[in-house]
This record gives sequence, C-alpha cells and structure tokens, in this order.
Amino acid sequence: MSGTADVEGRVRELLAQVLDVPASDVGPGFTEASTASWTSLNHLMLVSQLESEFGLFLSNEQIRQLTSFDRIVETVARHRSGG
Amino acid sequence: MSLTNPPGSRALTEIASAVPHGGSWAAYQAAAHALDRLPPDAVPPRQRARVALLGSFTLDPFVPVLRVEGARAGLWLDVYRAPYGQYLGELIDPGSGLYEFQPHVTFILIDADVLWNQRWAENPPLPSEPVVGGLLTPLFAGLDAFEHAGTGLVVVNDFVLPRRSTEGVNAFRNKGTFAHTVAHANKHLRLRLTKRDSTFLFPLADVVAQVGRTHAFNWRTHYRGHVTWSDALMGAVARRYAGFALASLGRATKCIVLDLDNTLWGGVLGEEGPSGIALGPDWPGQEFLDFQRELLDLQRQGILLALASKNNEPEVLAVLREHPFMLIREEHLAGHRINWDDKAANIRALARELNIGLDHMLFIDDSPHERAWVREQIPELLVPEVPADPSLYADWVGSLPSLLVLQQTAEDSRRTRQYQESRSREAYQASAASMTDFLRGLELRVLVEPVTDASTTRVVQLLAKTNQFNLTTRRHDEATLRRRVAAGEWRVYTMCVADRFGDFGLTGVAIVAPGGRQWHLESFLMSCRVIGKSVESALLTRIAAEARAAGADGLTAEFIDSGRNQVAEAFLGRHGFAAVGHGRWQRALADGGPEWPEWITDAAGSAPAAAGDSR
Repeated sequence: MSGTADVEGRVRELLAQVLDVPASDVGPGFTEASTASWTSLNHLMLVSQLESEFGLFLSNEQIRQLTSFDRIVETVARHRSGG
Repeated sequence: MSLTNPPGSRALTEIASAVPHGGSWAAYQAAAHALDRLPPDAVPPRQRARVALLGSFTLDPFVPVLRVEGARAGLWLDVYRAPYGQYLGELIDPGSGLYEFQPHVTFILIDADVLWNQRWAENPPLPSEPVVGGLLTPLFAGLDAFEHAGTGLVVVNDFVLPRRSTEGVNAFRNKGTFAHTVAHANKHLRLRLTKRDSTFLFPLADVVAQVGRTHAFNWRTHYRGHVTWSDALMGAVARRYAGFALASLGRATKCIVLDLDNTLWGGVLGEEGPSGIALGPDWPGQEFLDFQRELLDLQRQGILLALASKNNEPEVLAVLREHPFMLIREEHLAGHRINWDDKAANIRALARELNIGLDHMLFIDDSPHERAWVREQIPELLVPEVPADPSLYADWVGSLPSLLVLQQTAEDSRRTRQYQESRSREAYQASAASMTDFLRGLELRVLVEPVTDASTTRVVQLLAKTNQFNLTTRRHDEATLRRRVAAGEWRVYTMCVADRFGDFGLTGVAIVAPGGRQWHLESFLMSCRVIGKSVESALLTRIAAEARAAGADGLTAEFIDSGRNQVAEAFLGRHGFAAVGHGRWQRALADGGPEWPEWITDAAGSAPAAAGDSR
C-alpha cells in the first residue's frame, strides 16, 4: 500500500497548490462542492497537472468524475496499477 | 544611489525561488498565492508595475506565472486581464477597462488559431491577404487609438505556426498555404511595430523554438478550455515579459560587473599564466570567446561592462592589452576593481565610481560561493545563477530579463567613452582648489533647446531611466509627449552638455506646463552623468526667463519622493523655491529669477530659444 500513500501525498500537494488550501485540509471528504476555489478553470488546470505529474491521459468521462480527493486518488492509483 | 534595499525585494525573490526554471504550473500557482499573502505595504511603489494582458485564448492560468516571474525580477505586478477574446474592443474603446487601468506595459497575445479560423471561414480556405488583412487591419486601428492615448509600452507576440505543416516542401512556395499566411502576418506586424519606440514585436517563435514546439503547446488543455500554452512555454515567456516590466519602470540593467577566471576565460590566470588560460578559436576557448562577443554586443547597445576580480592587476591588464584572442579590452570597460579585497566592497566602489545604483547592476561570477556572498552583502544587486557549464554561457546571457534593451540612442554607443572621460575629470577635481574653480576650469557649455522629433526618443529614455536627479520620476511615453506638446499643454526643454573633457550629449530635460501667471515644472531631470556640474541652474534660468517674457510672475514645482531623489529636492531649495505642503513648491520671479552661472557658456549665444515652436 506504500504506492497508494505516495499517490495520496502527491495528490494532496497538488490540490493544495492549485486551490490555495492548506495541505492538512485535503483528505477524504475534500470535494469540489465544498471548495470555493475549485472553479471550472482550476479543474481544467488540475487535470492537466495530474496528467503530467503521473503520466496519464484522462478521458472526458473521467475528467468529469474527478470531483473529490478520494475519486482522484482512486483514478490515479487504478491507472498506475494498469487497471 | 540607493542605500537601502527595499524589504519587498527579498520577499519577492524568495517566494519566486520556490519555483525552479521549468517548474510546473501548480508550483507557480502556489507561489502566486504566497505573493497574495504578503502585507500590502511590503513592496514600495517603484517596484510595482501595472501589466495588461490582451489575448485570443484563455489567459487566466498565465497570470500566476507572470506574477511569479515578475517577483523573480524583484517586481510586484498588478495584472489586468481583458475579458476573454475582447482584445480588439479593449484597444479601441477609450472607456474600456484597459484604458482605465493605465498599464505600464500591455502585452497582446494573439494565437495563430485566429488566422487559422479566418482561413477556414470558407472552403476551400482563403489565401493569405484577406486572412491577414481581416485580423491586422482592426488590430492596427486599435493600436493607433491606444497609442494616441499614450499609455505605456505595447508588446505584441509574433504568430507561430502551431504544428507541423501538412504542406510539406511547398509550405512557403504557395501563397495559399497556412505557413505562408503566418509568415505574411508576421511581416506586416514587424513593419507596423518597428515604427514607434513604444511598440515592440515579441519573438514568441524564438521562445517556442527554445522550449521545443512539441513541448510548447498543450493540445489537451487547448481543446478542453482554450489554454494553449504548456507550463514550460508560460514560464519561458513570462521570464522575458518581466524584462519589459523592468524596463518600463526604468529598472533595466545599466552595468554588468564581471568576474574573470572561469567567467571571461577558462582556467585561473594566476596559476596557469596568460598562455595557459582557455580563450581562442578552439574548444574550450571558443565558449568564452562567444560569451565575450555577446557581452560586447550588449556593450554596443549601451550597457556598461566592468570587472571585479580577485587577481593581480598587472597580470590582468597584460591579458586585456596583449592576449591575442581577448575581445573585451580596456576601452570596452567603464571601470574595474582587480585586487584581493572583498568583492561586495569592490562592487559598491564601482557603483560609486560610475554613479549607478546597485539595483541597476548585474553581477556575473562562476563561483557559487562568491555569488552567495555578494547576494547576501548587496541584496539589491542582481546576481543570477550562472550555468555550471561554460558552453551554455553565450546562450544563457541572452535570456536575462533585465538585459532586455528597449531603446538605443546615439548616447548609448558613446556611454563607455563618457565614463572614461569622467575618470580624467575626477582626477582634475581632486586637484582643483574650490568648487567654483573646479566648475570654471571645466569650461562647461550647454545648449538648451525645445524638444525635436529627433530628440524625443532620448527624452523618453531619460524620463524612464533617471532616478536620482528627477523631481517627480514620472515616466512618460513618446505618444503622450508628442500629444501634449502638440496640444500646447507642455513645453519640453532639452539640454545638451559638454566640457573640456568630452561631450555628455542630451542629459537634461524639463517638461513645463505654461500657465498664465504661473509656469509649472511637471518634470525636471538631469542624467547622473552631469550631476554636480551646476548645469541644472542654467536650464532653470532659461525656463524662468521665458516664463517672465510670457508674463508669468512665478514658478511652481512638484517633488515626489521616490526614496532616491533627494538631490532633486535640494535643487529646489537652492534655487529659491519654498515648500508649500503636499510636495508642492513655488518661487516668485519678482527678483528676476535665478542667475545663469557665469562659468557656463550658452552654446546658443544670446539668441532666445523659442521653446515649443519647432514642432
């Protein structure tokens, strides 16, 4: 599970950087709906940062679903395990 | 000369240093948020620039990148972003947010996509002329309107072919290809933007080439949300844009101080001797040769070169005079300090000798240890990181934003000689018995004239660059100047100065708003090269005489404290002005006005100058 912990750490950092929130606030339960700075433009940029950070290509459907910390971690981890 | 480092400078550069070159957009975004948390008074006004962005694609993500690269250059940037896609309307409408913002610099970023879409407005696609005309005709009309209002510098990106052309080897043969359309548009941009001194063509294609086209554009974000530039391209462009902001505030580098060993040549002179150092047409000597060539090109554009090196002076002078491949010779140097003293102290001494603020100097040294020491001792000095590999020096020096040269005038190319003349002048000063004797012995000559078409560029340059003897440090651009002179609102006086040691050129400027009974000094400045020669008295006397002749009985002036222009305030006091509060000063002319210093010859003879009539 050390791989998932690593992904969680990097996703937490990215969300904190892009959305200007303390990293300690980012974790399970952190969602688009509860975060004012999670605008559509920041979402677009967040997705592209995730793609370059983790070497992914995300489909439109996946992009629409990346609406919380948990979903992002889950999506990135699945990609990395080849799932 | 600035004695104290504004606290804001260090706070800004520290925040920016968290983002490495090539840093991700997320890192820029986080650093921009850190900038927002600085207290509002952390950055003094002279380090703040208003920058406007007008573009055809989504510019929001570029804003944090630009602000952080501005901070890296020691600037706080207030950024105005025109509403998406509204670049033409904002330019042409005097009621737009752009006009209200009064930017120091306006960047216009139009993507080649606009040309692409116009080309495909019909099928088969339209040829170059109607496509280019359809975009550039309204753009140039907008530029005309905006420039007429006279607000700051305008920088327009050239168009870049965004992807590999499908037109193959015929791309530039056939007038109907997209590559031809892009080239045609760039040709017209270049013609239009080199016409005026306040408009510039920004070589985006060069920056894209440096980043590499496949890394410069992000097609995913382009199609998802019109964010076309990659993180890497945003960073590279923003670094260069910061140079325009610096220059618009009169903060461009005026002097480069250079180390010698492993900086201007390879190896250590003291150990390897003049024949052992690497400098010449072969590897690795050519790395240093090319670096010296770049530095000499900068010197020809008016940037001074000086040396600060830990070496034995006679050995260095021998290399400067005799080494067959040395390109930088004594005549290219405005000053040098070659000894074993502390480099920071040597750089301060050079700043005093050249009369240049430390924040207008840049220090280049290959030693990380020396850089760290000097940076700590002189926080306001620019001390960029130098590549570890000398083969990168020549390419690297061209990327330093503060070396972006905006205007070149006749004075620029003469500047090094003028500093050398000033050294003989100082030797003379040490031998003169009293100040009056000294001034008398200089055989000063001045020529006061109304500004002309030819001298306008130099006047704008002095307004932008003069920080010490400058009453208001108001920067005016060429369009403003021409407009207000033409409207009769301003009389602009120029003064050329010479003495027996040499010619200083156009080094004094006054902008006067003539009123009925009171004439007002809107700007009054002397280049630092002529401070201490009393020539300011001559210029003021001329203005006072013309005011009296026109029926005025008083002069008013405004002094705006920039932290460094106390010498200009003292000038008002010495010439009979009295402070009346809020930075306002006035002087009655009932006493006949100030007196022309008897040791200064009026090169115009006794003929009265007809200020403002030449236009």
